Amino acid sequence: MNSPDPIVFVVDDDAAVRDSVQRLIASVGMRVQTFGSTREFLTNKRPDAPACLVLDVRLPDASGLELQRDLAEANVRIPIIFITGHADVPMTVRAMKAGAVEFLTKPFRGQELLEAIQQAIARDRVAWNERAQMAELRSRYDSLTAREKEVLKLVASGLLNKQIGAELGTSELTVKTHRGRVMEKMQAESLADLVRMAEKLNPTSTNYK
Amino acid sequence: MNRKESTPGARRLTFAIFRYALAPALVAGALALTFFLQSVVSTAGFLFFYIAVVASAWFGGKWPGWIAVILGTLAVEYFFMPPIHSLRVNRESLPIFIEFAASAMVISWFSSWRRQAEAELRYARDELQLRVEERTADLKQTNQQLLEEMAERRRAEDAYYAAQAELARVTRMSAMGALAASISHEVNQPLAAVVTNADACMMWLASEPPNLEEARAAMECVAQQGTRASDIIRHIRAMFTKTTAERTKVQINDLISEVGVLTEGAASRNQVTLHTELATDLPTILGDRVQLQQVIVNLILNGIEAMSSVVDRPRRLVIRSQMQNSDEVLVAVRDSGVGISPNDEKRIFDAFYTTKSQGMGMGLSISQSIIEAHGGRLWASSNGDHGATVQFTLPAETRI
Repeated sequence: MNSPDPIVFVVDDDAAVRDSVQRLIASVGMRVQTFGSTREFLTNKRPDAPACLVLDVRLPDASGLELQRDLAEANVRIPIIFITGHADVPMTVRAMKAGAVEFLTKPFRGQELLEAIQQAIARDRVAWNERAQMAELRSRYDSLTAREKEVLKLVASGLLNKQIGAELGTSELTVKTHRGRVMEKMQAESLADLVRMAEKLNPTSTNYK
Repeated sequence: MNRKESTPGARRLTFAIFRYALAPALVAGALALTFFLQSVVSTAGFLFFYIAVVASAWFGGKWPGWIAVILGTLAVEYFFMPPIHSLRVNRESLPIFIEFAASAMVISWFSSWRRQAEAELRYARDELQLRVEERTADLKQTNQQLLEEMAERRRAEDAYYAAQAELARVTRMSAMGALAASISHEVNQPLAAVVTNADACMMWLASEPPNLEEARAAMECVAQQGTRASDIIRHIRAMFTKTTAERTKVQINDLISEVGVLTEGAASRNQVTLHTELATDLPTILGDRVQLQQVIVNLILNGIEAMSSVVDRPRRLVIRSQMQNSDEVLVAVRDSGVGISPNDEKRIFDAFYTTKSQGMGMGLSISQSIIEAHGGRLWASSNGDHGATVQFTLPAETRI
């Protein structure tokens, strides 16, 4: 699946720093969106694409480290590159432990930031693809009827058509028809493919809703 | 105890025997002398017997005294009272016999009483002396304790001052640390923009075809942000100089004396002797007392510290003031310490340069700034023999 063009979000309260980072990222042809505060970043609707966040530590409302924690709690897994005017060791350790990609002290070289951004985007592209696949699978699954979902569950649990028919109280032929429609709607190329999809949709239980 | 000396008990026994033997011996002596005198001058009296009684009572004590009285009375009665060679007393000689006996008894009693009194007096005196000695020993011990306590107190005070100085240094350091953090944050913002814009500019120029418009905009920002950084630094400088504008008339010798008092403790703790050679009739100067004091304190403490490893020569610090070029005052601080190595000579006035394990490298740099702000000059040189001299000049008030 082809992902859309990646985007870099920049949060820094210093307009000059913000603009210079934007100019630098634009020079390598990437999309950039800048914000002056964490609130601005959280309230704006962000495009759905592989992304990373270039984040200043000291910010007027909530600090960059707090934003990192809030995003993690809200299960928003966007890779973060910290930039700061004055870094101390505990601050750096805290940010890196919480999963930051890089911690850069101002002034940093353009190349350093661009490399960190590349790395972060690459990391997020994998995650984004997984998320997109998952969303696609879920929408296909949602298009199934209740009976078809039941058939899928039983097929994935390894039962034969005859056994499924007995379980649901219908004929083997009806089961076969349902199963064909499930394969078609889920765009499964083989039975193995279908079972793999069922596992992805719910890896711990076979009780689909 | 020495074996040759007899024990106190044995000595007392010997003395008792001597005392009691004394009485008969003396009476015998008196008898012999009286016989001798009688043979020469026919009548002799009983003078020698009285002497024997007195001596017995005096040297032998009460009981030997009485023995002498009895023996003497018997001897007188037997040998000299008619009837001679008989213990009988006849009518005519009875009054003389009674008189002798009574006199001997009184003399003996009086003599032994005197002796007793004397012995008591001597005992009392010895007692007194003993007590005085005891008290003296007590006093000596107390004095010793007092001296030790004073030394202990002195050590505690030294430790306290050292701790206080350390605390002041740490406070100053952490205050400077906080200030440095805030300054570095402020200055790093525009610097980050400068560096990032410069890098962005190069990227735009390197693109195919080069985007001159973007490159120009980036360079515009570089110039702007460079100016912003320098504005921040000027602002910080202004903040520091604002508090230091107070200039008053200062007599440099007074300042040196005050500072000398302040640094005496540090000097004595480091076994350094401070000497001042102050010229009289120096002109006054215009300056900030506190800042100039700070400079002199700095130079003195540096000098003291430079001598901390010196053991083969006196640790001597000389502070000299004198006229220079008829319109300047010169102050020189000369130590006999390790001196300045040729390597360090050029760098000792650089900020953050230090050869001390705990130094910040700000002392000489700040001192130089202060002296220069007062229109003077501060420099350092190695002495010919040992140590270094740091000196500064300040313009006389009349010249300004």
